[in-house]
Amino acid sequence: MGMTYVPTTLSEALHLRAEKGARPLAGGSDMMVQSKRGIALAPEFPYPVMIITSIDELRGIRVLDDGSVEIGALTTAAEIAASEDVPWHVRMAASGMGAIALRNSATIGGNIGNASPKGDLPQPLIMLDASVVLSSIHGERRMLLDDFILGSKRTALSDDEIIRSVIIPPHDFTYSFYRKIGMRKANAISKLSLSAAALVKDGEILDFRASSGAAGPKVIRSQDAEKMLEGHMVSEIPELLPAFLEAWNNAISPHAMPLYRRNTTKRMLSFFLSEISSGAEEGIIGGGEE
Amino acid sequence: MLSEIVFYVNDSKVSFIGDPLTRLIDVLREDLHLTGVKEGCGEGECGACSVLKDGKLVTSCIIPVGAVSGSRIYTIEGIRDTEKGRCIIDAFAEGGAVQCGFCIPGMVMAAYALLSSNPHPTETEIRKGISGNICRCTGYDLIVESIRLASEKGGDLWA
Repeated sequence: MGMTYVPTTLSEALHLRAEKGARPLAGGSDMMVQSKRGIALAPEFPYPVMIITSIDELRGIRVLDDGSVEIGALTTAAEIAASEDVPWHVRMAASGMGAIALRNSATIGGNIGNASPKGDLPQPLIMLDASVVLSSIHGERRMLLDDFILGSKRTALSDDEIIRSVIIPPHDFTYSFYRKIGMRKANAISKLSLSAAALVKDGEILDFRASSGAAGPKVIRSQDAEKMLEGHMVSEIPELLPAFLEAWNNAISPHAMPLYRRNTTKRMLSFFLSEISSGAEEGIIGGGEE
Repeated sequence: MLSEIVFYVNDSKVSFIGDPLTRLIDVLREDLHLTGVKEGCGEGECGACSVLKDGKLVTSCIIPVGAVSGSRIYTIEGIRDTEKGRCIIDAFAEGGAVQCGFCIPGMVMAAYALLSSNPHPTETEIRKGISGNICRCTGYDLIVESIRLASEKGGDLWA
C-alpha cells in the first residue's frame, strides 16, 4: 500500500508527483470505485496517491484572448454543464454523466486521465481539437487530446506530470448533433456516443467533423472520412453518403456488440447528414438530449 | 499515513486524524455515529449515502475524507430540525413517500438540494433531481408527488 498525500498547491503536487510518484485523485468516481474494499474500509492503491481537490489553481473555466476556452482539471461535470462559455457538445456530454451527485464530484481531469473508451468528455473534446496542458516541475507542455489518449486506459502522461487543464479552440458550426446511448438516462455508462458538426455557407460544407465514443479502444475520429464531405455542396450529400458511411465504418472498431454499434453509428451519421441535405433549420439537429 | 483533516459536519467542527483515503461515509457513520447516512452500493450509483458538501449533493461513499478539508457537510441529521428539512420530511409523511425507508435520507437530501436551487420544479425536474437515488419499494411516484407537495407547502421557504 502506498502513501497518501493531500497537497494544497500545484507546486507541492508537482513535487510529490516527481519525487514520490504520487498519482492524483480528484472526484473519486473512478478511482474510489475501482479500489473499493467494502464497508468501513478505506480503499487501497498499489501506488502512492495524492488527493488534489484542495488545489484551487486547477479549478475553473475561462475564455482566453483568442476565444479558446480553458477548463481547469478539477472543474466538475456539473460546472461544465452549467457554463455558457463551454461549447455545446461538451456541455451535452457533461450533463449526461452519471447523475447529479456524480456530476458534482467527477472532474474533467479525471475523466481524461482515466482514458476509458466509454468516458463521456473525451469524445466531444477530440472532435473539437481540444488539447491538454500537462504540468511538471520542469514546466508545461501542450498536446492534442487525440494524441494524449493512446488507447483504452492508456495516456501519454509522463511519470512526473499531472493534467493541468484542457483548452478548446473556438468553432463556428451551422449544425450540431450529440447523442449518448445508455441503458437508462441517469447513472448509465455510455454504450455508444456520437458528436457531429458542420459549418455550411451558401450551400457549401466548409467544415465537417464527427467523433465516436465507445466504438473502439479510444475515441475515434476519421479525418479522411471528414474530408470526403468538405468542400462539397450540401446538395451532393445524398451521392456522397454511402462512401462516407463506409469510410467511417472502417475507422471504428467496436469490440463488443459490433453489429449494433456499427449500425447505430451509421444511422446517427446518416440522420444528421440527411437532415442537413434536406434543408433543416440551422442549429441543433435531433434536439440533442435533455 | 496519518493526516489531520479539519471540516464541518452539521455546523460542528470536526478534526479527523487518520488515513485521508478513509471514505467520508465511514467517518460520518463510524466516527460521528450519523447513521442516517446509508450505504447501498458503495459505488456512488444508488444515492443512499447522499449528503450536501458546500451546498452540493454528493455521494459520501466515493469521497475520501481528504477531499473535504474545509468543507461544510450536512447530513439528514443536520437538516431534519431545520424549517426546510421539516417541510420535506412532513411532505414525505403526508404524501406516503416512505416504504422501507432505506433510500429516504438520501431522497430527502436530493429533494433539499433540488428545492434549494429550484423552488418550483416541474415533474420532469423532480424526476431528474432524484435520478441518482434508487428506491426499490415505491416506484417513485409518491416520492415525486411528496417533493411537489414540499415545494407547494414550503412556499417562500424555498424562494
